[in-house]
Amino acid sequence: MLDSWRLRRNLGLGLAVLLLMLVVIAPFYWIFSSSVKAPQEIIAQVPTLFPQSFTLQHYDNLLQSSAFPTYLVNSAIVAVLTMIITIVLSSLAAYGLYRMRFPGSDFLFRIILITYAFPGILLLVPLYEMLSSIGLIDTRWALVIVNVTFAAPFAVWMLQAFFRSVPYELEEAAALDGASRLRIMVRIMLPLTAPGIASIAIYAFITSWTEYMFASILIISDANRTVPVGLAGIIGQYQVDWGLLLAGATVTTLPVLLLFGLVGRNFVDGLTAGAVK
Amino acid sequence: MDSTGATRRARTGQRRAASLRQSLSRNWLGYLLVAPLMLWLAGTILYPLISAIRISFLDVGIIGTGGSFVGFENYSKILNSDKFWSALGRSLLWVVSNSVIQTVVAFATALILKQRFRGQGLARVWVILSWIVPTVVVVIIWRWLLGTSGGIVNYALVALGIVSEPVGFFGSGTGAYATVVLINSWRWFPLMAVILLAGMQGIPEDLYEAASVDGASAGMRFRHITFPSLQPVLFVMGLVGTLWSFNVFDVIWLFTRGGPSSATTTVPVFIYDTAFNSYRLSRSAAASVIVGVILLIFAALFIRFMMPPDEKEA
Repeated sequence: MLDSWRLRRNLGLGLAVLLLMLVVIAPFYWIFSSSVKAPQEIIAQVPTLFPQSFTLQHYDNLLQSSAFPTYLVNSAIVAVLTMIITIVLSSLAAYGLYRMRFPGSDFLFRIILITYAFPGILLLVPLYEMLSSIGLIDTRWALVIVNVTFAAPFAVWMLQAFFRSVPYELEEAAALDGASRLRIMVRIMLPLTAPGIASIAIYAFITSWTEYMFASILIISDANRTVPVGLAGIIGQYQVDWGLLLAGATVTTLPVLLLFGLVGRNFVDGLTAGAVK
Repeated sequence: MDSTGATRRARTGQRRAASLRQSLSRNWLGYLLVAPLMLWLAGTILYPLISAIRISFLDVGIIGTGGSFVGFENYSKILNSDKFWSALGRSLLWVVSNSVIQTVVAFATALILKQRFRGQGLARVWVILSWIVPTVVVVIIWRWLLGTSGGIVNYALVALGIVSEPVGFFGSGTGAYATVVLINSWRWFPLMAVILLAGMQGIPEDLYEAASVDGASAGMRFRHITFPSLQPVLFVMGLVGTLWSFNVFDVIWLFTRGGPSSATTTVPVFIYDTAFNSYRLSRSAAASVIVGVILLIFAALFIRFMMPPDEKEA
């Protein structure tokens, strides 16, 4: 009696998990596996679940005879700079906001909350105007500035749970031993909040890696273009080369997968810790 | 007696001075630590907001042209434009339909991931995959899956006999709108799900045990324990999620460019299109200001009426 109930429950749960994974993961399998198919197989009327042919020609085209490598380098530079600046700005602010009490700290915290919910579309025109008036149009710095603006407030919010959970006694003990504030921050807080720092690093990287809207208007020349805009340009071409696009989508997803594989657990913890606290 | 009192007073005074000095230096450090970020945001959010208002009273077309004061002309043009009001209507429908679909699917997903099963740790992390890949990848995936030749979805629909020939998902206005809503929901529901899951894990297990002992069914436990306990999380999700969802631009733009015949032109698409395809920066800035005011009113009302009581005290 109990066994049959448990069996049915397990079966139902198994099916539900399978369905969920199918919805989330299967589309990715489909583009990865199709990116190594020969052109005729890609557009075949009857889709093949497993590749019947194997070719790296699409990757060859992508990396040898398209501007994709340039886009990739630009995206990487912008994302790494965004990540570094976001980490510095957010962790300093997080230490100030969550470890010290000073008049107005609650107010500043509220401002952070407002800025992370703030819809970026409302800044489209004025940011464009501002960046063009200081001559940053068509530079990667323009993108770094925009990306940090949208990544940093949420990053501060993500750090909340990590910074608040470090016991004050540790800092006090170090202070009694004569350690300076800076030393305490670097030697005690930094290691103890490392999972939080990792999660905002990934958040900043992903924010930058995926940004399309501002990159599409702030960058003019092909030499400074990032991957999202570059790939979108290939989609827009008259004759769609699916092999090339599928290979491009795969290569674009790889860095995200790699980072996520390394510290994905921290990232999800950080994302949810702020929301639930 | 007198002297000891004086000494005590002096000591207290010293202590006070010391603690005041300490707190001052701490304050000073606190401001110093927060300052870089605040200055950054003042330059990239506050200043642009003010200049958006300034630009909205000028007649800038392409950057560097025009620039003379025109008063409220841009505002009256926007407020009298049918295109603007229909875009606002489409954005309203966009926010509502996305949030309904995402909330339902996210709840189901969170309830699944809450159960114990092998690989649960992996599933809880990787479920968020669709949210972390670039939108352009999402667009390539779904264009490919929904394509009329070689697309697996059309192949399956025809093979199962649901349709007789491949469907052009982006062909009609309604079809394109619904398709983009579904794809955007596919992209965002995992984020909502992991946040709900974290909220559910914060609910004490003994509440459920006590309810089970009292004979509450699974449905009753959800209605009387899970749902009320999640109020604070749902409040944040409702506010921030609405604003984030309103802001969605790239999924729509990359699939449809706002078409066919403006059927998917939501407010962000309208603002972008007005500024960078019709080259009317000032007009677009006026639209941004109007929309900003509308969103501000929404946020104020949402906080006023939806904030759970225990949040207000904090």
